[in-house]
Amino acid sequence: MSWEGFDLSILGPACLAGLIVLATHVPLGTRVLARGIIFIDLAIAQIAALGVILAQFLGMDEHGFGVQIAAASAALLGAALLSATDKRWPEYQEPLIGTLFVLAATGGLLLLANNPHGGEHLKDLLIGQILWVSPSQLWSAAIGSTALLGLMAWRAGKLVSLSFYAVFALAITISVQLIGVYLVFASLIVPALATVRMRGRCRLFVAYLIGVCGYVSGLVLSAILDLPSGAMIVWTLAGCGLLAQLLPVVRRLHSTHVSESEPGDLGGPAAD
Amino acid sequence: MRKMLVWMIILAVAISAPVEAKLRIFACESEWGSLLTELAGDAVNVDVATTALQDVHIVEARPSLIAKMRKADLLVCSGAQLEIGWLPQLLRQAGNPRVSSGPGNFMAASQVTTLEKAASVDRSAGDVHPDGNPHVHLDPYRVLAIAKALSARLGELDAPNAATYRQRLGNFEPRWQAAIKRWEAKAAPLKGKAVVVHHSSWVYLLQWLGMHEIGSLEPKPGVPPTSSHLSSLIAVTSSGGAIAILSAAYQDSKPGLWLAERTGVPALILPFSVGGDAQASDLFGLYDSTIDKLLEALK
Repeated sequence: MSWEGFDLSILGPACLAGLIVLATHVPLGTRVLARGIIFIDLAIAQIAALGVILAQFLGMDEHGFGVQIAAASAALLGAALLSATDKRWPEYQEPLIGTLFVLAATGGLLLLANNPHGGEHLKDLLIGQILWVSPSQLWSAAIGSTALLGLMAWRAGKLVSLSFYAVFALAITISVQLIGVYLVFASLIVPALATVRMRGRCRLFVAYLIGVCGYVSGLVLSAILDLPSGAMIVWTLAGCGLLAQLLPVVRRLHSTHVSESEPGDLGGPAAD
Repeated sequence: MRKMLVWMIILAVAISAPVEAKLRIFACESEWGSLLTELAGDAVNVDVATTALQDVHIVEARPSLIAKMRKADLLVCSGAQLEIGWLPQLLRQAGNPRVSSGPGNFMAASQVTTLEKAASVDRSAGDVHPDGNPHVHLDPYRVLAIAKALSARLGELDAPNAATYRQRLGNFEPRWQAAIKRWEAKAAPLKGKAVVVHHSSWVYLLQWLGMHEIGSLEPKPGVPPTSSHLSSLIAVTSSGGAIAILSAAYQDSKPGLWLAERTGVPALILPFSVGGDAQASDLFGLYDSTIDKLLEALK
C-alpha cells in the first residue's frame, strides 16, 4: 500500500486522457462488436505504426508533425482496404483483419531489421503510457475526438462501410499514441460487451458509466497498490463491466431482449 | 464525478506527508542506490526506481514514480541516454525544477570518460549511445571517481551534513581500494581470456580485467541476430577459445543457452547490478559474485 502516488495532479491528466478516448470509443465499440470485427483496432494500430516506420525509412524526421500525417494516412489506407474486403468478402472479414495485422506487424520488423532507432517510435506508438500524457497531447486529442464525434453525430445512421472505417482509423490513430493498444482494445470492447443486450441511449449511457468507473477506479487502485496504471485500468474496466451485470436495468433488458440478440456469425460463410 | 474529484483532493491533501528535513534522492538503478547507502547511510532517503531483474531501458509508468520524482532533491542515474526511454517523460511529468537540471541532476556517466563514444551517430551502427556506453558501474575505478563526485554533490546540496558525507567517503574509499586489490589479484587468471556477450553491457568490466569480447549475440547493439550472423558466431565462439557466453540477470537466457548448446562454451548469467543474485546484495557483493562466476567458467 502506498498513498504517495495518490495525487490529483498526477492522476488527473491520465483520467482526462481516458475520458477523451472513451468519448469516441464507446459508440465505435458497439458498432465493432455488432459487426464481429473486434480485432480491427489492433490491425489499424499496427498499420499506423507501419506508416511511421515507412516514413522514417524514407528519411522523414522522427518527431515532427509529418509522422502523425504518415500514421493517419497509413491508417486511412488500411481502413480503405478493409472496407473494400468487407464489401467483397464480408464472411471472411475477421480472418482478413487478422492476416493484415500480422503482415503489418512483421512488415515493421523487416523494415527495421537494420535500424533499431526506428523501433523506439514504434514502441511509443504501440505502448503509449497513459501516465506520461502531456497537456499538448491532451489538447490535440480532445480537438480530434470532438471533430470525430461531431462527424459521427452528423452522419448518425449513415456511417457505413468506408466512412465508418475512416472514422475508426482516425480515432484509433489518436488513442493508441495516448494510452496504448491494450487500453484502446479494452475501452472499445468491454463497455460494448457488458451492455450487448441493451439498446439505444440507455445502452450508451450505461456503457459510458462502465468506462468512467473503470478508468477512475483503475487509476486510484494503481496509485494505492503502486502498480502500472494502464494494465490496472484494463482489469478494473473488466471488473466494472461484470459488476454492471448486477444492475437491475441491465438485467431486465437482458431478459426482454434476449430473443432478438445479434444474429452473430454462427451461420458460417453465406453461400454465393 | 465532481463530488468524487473533491473527495480525491481532500484525501490527497490529508495524506500528503509532512515535510522532512532529510535529503530525498531518486536513484534510477540499484547500483547507485547501493553507492548512496555507502556514502550517506541514514542521512538521506533513497528511492530506487528499478531492480537488477528489470531492463532499465524500459520502465512501466506508475503513479508513485512521478510522486517520488516530485519530492526528490537529487536525481542519481547512469545517464549517457541509458534511461532515455522513460526518464525525460518522468521528469517532464513531475515538473520538479530541483532535479531536472543543475546540481540536483547527477548523471554518473558524465563524471567519467565513457568508452565507445561515437564521433558521429550513424543509424547503421545500431543502437549506439552518442554519449558512449552507459554501463559504467562495472569498472571499480570509475565507480570510485563517481563516488567522490557524488559525495561532493551531497555536501553541496545538504551543507549541514557535509561532514558526515566526507567522513563516510573517507571510510568507503580505503575499503573500496582494498577490495580492488583483492579482486585484481583474484581475477589475474582471467587476463587475456575471451568471451562472447549477449549485449554490449560489459565493456568496462572486460577492459578492467584485461579480457576481450570476440563476438556478440546482437550483430549491432539492440538489433536481433540474423541466421548468417548466428552461424558465423558459432564458428567464432568455438574457434576463438571463448571461456563463457555472458548475459545479465535481467536478460532472456535463451539466446545464450542456444549458443552454449551448439558450441559447448558455458552460458554464464552475471548479476550485472546490485540485487542480480543472492551474493550481489551490495556493490562489493556485485563484484565478488561477478568475479567468482567468471573464475568458475575457467575450470
